[in-house]
Amino acid sequence: MLKYIVKRIVLMIPVVTVMTLIVFSIFYFAPGDPVSRIAGPNVTPEVYESIRRKYGLDQPFIIQYLRFMKSVIEGDLGVSILQERPVIEMIKERLPVTLEIGLLGFLITFLIAIPAGVIAAVKKNTMVDYLCMSGTLLGTAIPTFWLGMLLMYFFAYKLRWFPISGYGTIRHLILPSFAIGLTNAAITARMVRSSMLEVLKQDYVRTARSKGLLEKVVIYRHALKNALIPVITLMGLRLGWIIGGSVALEIIFSIPGIGRLMVDSILARDYPVVQGSMIVLTSSIILANILADILYAIVDPRIRYS
Amino acid sequence: MKKALRKIVALLLLGVFLLSAVAGCSKKADTKASEKVLVIGFDRDAELLDTIKTAWYSDALIYIHDRLVSRDYEFGYRPGLAERWEVSEDGLVWTFYLRKGVKFHDGSDFTAHDVKWTIDTIKDPATGSPFRADLEAIKEVEVVDDHTVRIILNYPFPNLLFNLSNTAAGIHPANAYEKYGDDYGKKIVIGTGPYKLEEWIPGDRTVLVKNEDYNWGPEWMSNRGPALIDKIILKVIPDESSRIMELETGGIHILRNVPETYVEKLEKNPDITVYKEPATKLGYLAYATDKEPFNDVRVRRAINHALNREEIIQFVFRGIGEVAYGYLPPALKDEYLEESRELAYEYNPEKARQLLAEAGYPNGFKATLSADNSSKSSKLAEIIQRQLKEVGIETKIQLYDSASYTDMLKEGKQELFIREYSWPNADILDWFLLSERFPYPNHSRWRDPKTDELIMYAARRPTWAERAEAYKEVQRYLIEQAVWAPIYVPMQIIAVRKEVKNFKYHPWMLQYNDGFDIEVE
Repeated sequence: MLKYIVKRIVLMIPVVTVMTLIVFSIFYFAPGDPVSRIAGPNVTPEVYESIRRKYGLDQPFIIQYLRFMKSVIEGDLGVSILQERPVIEMIKERLPVTLEIGLLGFLITFLIAIPAGVIAAVKKNTMVDYLCMSGTLLGTAIPTFWLGMLLMYFFAYKLRWFPISGYGTIRHLILPSFAIGLTNAAITARMVRSSMLEVLKQDYVRTARSKGLLEKVVIYRHALKNALIPVITLMGLRLGWIIGGSVALEIIFSIPGIGRLMVDSILARDYPVVQGSMIVLTSSIILANILADILYAIVDPRIRYS
Repeated sequence: MKKALRKIVALLLLGVFLLSAVAGCSKKADTKASEKVLVIGFDRDAELLDTIKTAWYSDALIYIHDRLVSRDYEFGYRPGLAERWEVSEDGLVWTFYLRKGVKFHDGSDFTAHDVKWTIDTIKDPATGSPFRADLEAIKEVEVVDDHTVRIILNYPFPNLLFNLSNTAAGIHPANAYEKYGDDYGKKIVIGTGPYKLEEWIPGDRTVLVKNEDYNWGPEWMSNRGPALIDKIILKVIPDESSRIMELETGGIHILRNVPETYVEKLEKNPDITVYKEPATKLGYLAYATDKEPFNDVRVRRAINHALNREEIIQFVFRGIGEVAYGYLPPALKDEYLEESRELAYEYNPEKARQLLAEAGYPNGFKATLSADNSSKSSKLAEIIQRQLKEVGIETKIQLYDSASYTDMLKEGKQELFIREYSWPNADILDWFLLSERFPYPNHSRWRDPKTDELIMYAARRPTWAERAEAYKEVQRYLIEQAVWAPIYVPMQIIAVRKEVKNFKYHPWMLQYNDGFDIEVE
């Protein structure tokens, strides 16, 4: 098991390296550079060139890339060209904000998806099932950012229960977390339902029922435990989706998270920041998947990694 | 399983709380109940809080720093940190007499050495200041005594007053970079202005707190002492509709650059007053004047005649904005050429077709029409495309994000393209039209000895009045040559909530110090 985990973590290195190379080339060959942003529109070519030289942007591609990789290996993600601050410091400020909303969103997903999925499976083909499933269908169809705007319009603008935008108190987190939680719950609930239906057909469930166990015990202790295994994988994979989805939410709700940092840096061509946050995000998505695999083995003793 | 579920829920909750602690979520509130706090909304944040090193200034810097020269409501140059100034006969030596008893936020005294350090640092090529070229005219800065500073110029340059009154010319304490190191411009900014920096969370908010010792406000302000508002919070809200909702619900008090589409809605709101004044901006259609067919003045005039500017203002700006005839916004009262309207090319498709035929394009021609990808520019591109088609010019629209757009213009790939500038001074014409600025920012690729001569002559007149007259001559020539097709002058639209009292519109900045007050709820 340990060997497996180490192997997976070592495998991260080539994945991250290839990712940096791709991102670096995209930015190198894409039009625009950060100097226009620093220098503004009214700049003489001479001043412009001197700023480019200052940041080594006049060097050829391979030199710039190697220089960057060398500092990454030394554990230094570089310094933002525009903000003149260490990238790692900027990520440290922004990542917890995104994770906070993401985790709260996950919690909401859990609290909604599991009961909804179980009820829909147990009361299959009844009105309750249809209601749950059409609700989740709607949830999967609505983009997160749009749901975020709807929630903002009704609960912050019309009812004024929550602040419209910003960051700072738990009240600021509720609406964006619900936007993530609800859309994510929809797909998860469908997964729970189908997985539950599968499990409820199994022999051991019939055995449990014939033993005379309470239906509640059968469903929650025997069936749900096994039904959750595929859901765990799904959750692991959803982490990347949650961070991706939070980019739009962070803009709408004006939350200073890593998604907005990335978008702003891409638009301003602040290469070191984009690279740094991509490295951190890619690594955390891979780590989340490894974690899901480990959880998998814990929940299902039949699974062994070697 | 229920237990396991409960554990997972507990873990997730714990995670949220731990992260809140890390992210400083539970930090102290920004405001106390009795404080007068003004919140202003912005669409983006600056990358640095440093007037010397970046071209994109945060408005916070207007209030943190003072400048030698201030600008009043009529755009007149008035004393700031300099009580008065003298110019030598030949216009080459400027002597500034500085106000006494002024202190920086760190407690040190403001002296002539600070002025010298600020200007020298901007001029030092090693600093890489984008503002350096603006101070090209300055040969050297001499400290005469603690409260007198002499600026010696290479050539007469009355526009020095404009450059010294810009946000970029905010005075820093001498040796600020050595003294405060890497934190300067990020965590610490020191000026002499009415507000001090309390906290800056990049991309989120800037909190400014009143400078209690301030009593050196410019003489034209009704309140020269400490500001009446205790705190100003500059809040960044990137999404347009969220900004409007924040204003309507009182989350922010003042919003600048309100999009025209929201004006009607906001004007109906009794809690909000909307101010509209012609901005010092100009939107225009340009073309690569060194390429065929745009190198023919008849074609350039034809394009000017083809544009129905009234329709563009109705369609794109909901009628909020003015038609542009000349190359400068009319708000620049001294320099603007009054007869631009008479000299310019009215909407006349028939005449446009005739001019095209004379130039050898009886059936028109094909060209690309480039613009940035903002919703305003794409709307502009669509309507311009349709209007040009009426006279036989077939265009293909290409949209770029702003960094790519700049790059494309530098490489010279443009044919027809849409631009808007925002600058309150006639020297913008130097930037865009002098040969030495080719190929960028001279993106219309206009290399013309007569233009160079007229502009250089105007820029170096010894007095402001002579300079203004000479710039009118430049505009007359540009209109004749149809170097661009000017289209519109947008409105500066500011929405202000009812809690804000005595608000007065200023063409350049919000004068928080000028008797400007806010009710505490």
